[in-house]
Amino acid sequence: MDLNWALIAPVIILEFILMIVALVDVIKSDDTNGPKWLWVLVILFIGFLGPILYFVIGRKR
Amino acid sequence: MSLVTVTDLTKHFADNTAVNNVSLSIDKGKCIALLGPNGAGKTTTIKMLAGLLKPTFGTIQFEGSEERDYRNLIGYLPQYPAFYRWMTGKEYLVYAAELSGLPDGEAKEKAEELLKMMGIEEAAKRRISTYSGGMKQRLGLAQAMIHDPKLLILDEPVSALDPVGRYEVLEMIRKLKEKTTILFSTHILHDAEEVSDDIYIIRNGEIVLSGTLQELQEEHQQPVIVIETAEKNEEWLGQLETYAFVANVASTRAEIRIEVNDVDEARNQILKDILSFNIKVKTFKVGYTSLEDLFIKKVTE
Amino acid sequence: MGQWFILFKKECMESWRNYKWLWMPSVFLILGLMQPITTYYLPDILATAGELPEGSEISIPIPPAPDVIAATFGQFSQIGILVLVLASMGIVAGERASGTASMILARPVSRFSFISAKWAAMLLLTWLSYLVGYAGSWYYTFLLIGEVEATNAIGAFFVYGLWLTFAVTLTVFFSTILKNAGIVAFLSIGSLLVISALSHTLTKLLAWSPGRLSVHASSIVSTGEGADHFFLALSVSIGIIIVLLILAYYLFKQKELVE
Repeated sequence: MDLNWALIAPVIILEFILMIVALVDVIKSDDTNGPKWLWVLVILFIGFLGPILYFVIGRKR
Repeated sequence: MSLVTVTDLTKHFADNTAVNNVSLSIDKGKCIALLGPNGAGKTTTIKMLAGLLKPTFGTIQFEGSEERDYRNLIGYLPQYPAFYRWMTGKEYLVYAAELSGLPDGEAKEKAEELLKMMGIEEAAKRRISTYSGGMKQRLGLAQAMIHDPKLLILDEPVSALDPVGRYEVLEMIRKLKEKTTILFSTHILHDAEEVSDDIYIIRNGEIVLSGTLQELQEEHQQPVIVIETAEKNEEWLGQLETYAFVANVASTRAEIRIEVNDVDEARNQILKDILSFNIKVKTFKVGYTSLEDLFIKKVTE
Repeated sequence: MGQWFILFKKECMESWRNYKWLWMPSVFLILGLMQPITTYYLPDILATAGELPEGSEISIPIPPAPDVIAATFGQFSQIGILVLVLASMGIVAGERASGTASMILARPVSRFSFISAKWAAMLLLTWLSYLVGYAGSWYYTFLLIGEVEATNAIGAFFVYGLWLTFAVTLTVFFSTILKNAGIVAFLSIGSLLVISALSHTLTKLLAWSPGRLSVHASSIVSTGEGADHFFLALSVSIGIIIVLLILAYYLFKQKELVE
């Protein structure tokens, strides 16, 4: 399969940015809803919805 | 001169009457304590004053303000102040000031001034989520003060604090008293005695007693004779209650408290009784009931 | 500075600190870009999956460009709406539950400003995220599949955006009358699903429904014109949005703030 990486790269970069921002935030935060290590796993392994889930329900308001 | 006149304030909820015919007169420059046990209706009264609850009936009249919306004249600190955790202390104060109509520059100045006054200026640029309970209470006082309100309403301002925090906040209230009129609620008599001029004792939604601190001390104190004995003499206790000069007798196993109307007559008769009944007296004390006794009597009777 | 704008600015700042300004546009952009990419590579993907019998020629026609945009709306209607509901479920409910609202409303703040500033700030974020995602989809469709006429694409953008506006308004409405953000999300998503499903089956009876807006948007992107009863659905949707907002204010005004 002949993928045009120039086109796919922006998507990958976006997902990467989301993941990094979420990871930095989870590590920096004093407290999360639920165990921290679980959120790290969620952010790393559930595709781009992982960081979103963290931002919506993981962070303490 | 009355700053606020509250008349017949009443609040019915679906299943109970939380506040019933409460009338208050808040004099300018005074510090008023609303004193009562938990669940007496203090918070409900305060929420009605702050405009967060609608009275079932009754009126709240601000001096010289015909407007129905007097919210800018009051500063309100709830029992559990809740802030935006993501804001810094200073940001919150500026936001509060701007919402109360202070122009941008003035809001910032005022915020800095109050942070300093409350002693939390080093924490000004920290997120509120990192604040301790005492710091939040000071920030709460600061936001209540920021628009120079005519009346400061504080709901249980010290009850959630440890002894040190409690002392500090009471000192703060003493300081604020110089500048503005204060109404605060508490369930602890000591707090009311410390800083207030006028006291309203509230119980089951009704004002059961009110007056200045001095009036209450003078008018409602009663002479009391306290006798500590080695053993209880039921016969004599029975006889005591028949005397005309006795208002009330309360006894524990070792101690008898006799509230009397005429001290001299009472003293003579009781001393005679002690001999004739052969009471083994350890101590004999003539004194006056304290405000504490009055408070306990009023909220339990 | 007017009081409404102070409230509005605070909402925007909160969204910024909550990273909403980062993740909401990202989600829409990812969805928008992925649709043309998967459409373009679908034949290849199927070929490598190797499930087809030996010797059979694969001929999956690449759909016309407007259909790819319409499919993007489909993506936005699922994950996009989910994200919007999750982002706005606590907007009023959270403040009532935590007690921050009573400290603000003890100041001379009108309850209409309080609600409408939140609603407007959420819509700004929604439209911006949607714009980014839509523009991405349009551009990638142009690169990989083909051109879509600009006036059609822009017209469809606004019509579908109205459906998203409806979704946000409905969530804000539930958030105003209920205290629990979870229940707000559940009710919002539930009613949006029902409205959407009913509007796609009972096309005649519910010709006026905001749930038909996505059908009209898809039609506009390919033909330049909405489906039957387009203007009816358009005006009724705008009407419902306004009514929901006013109703939210009215019910909020009656609310007593006891924590």
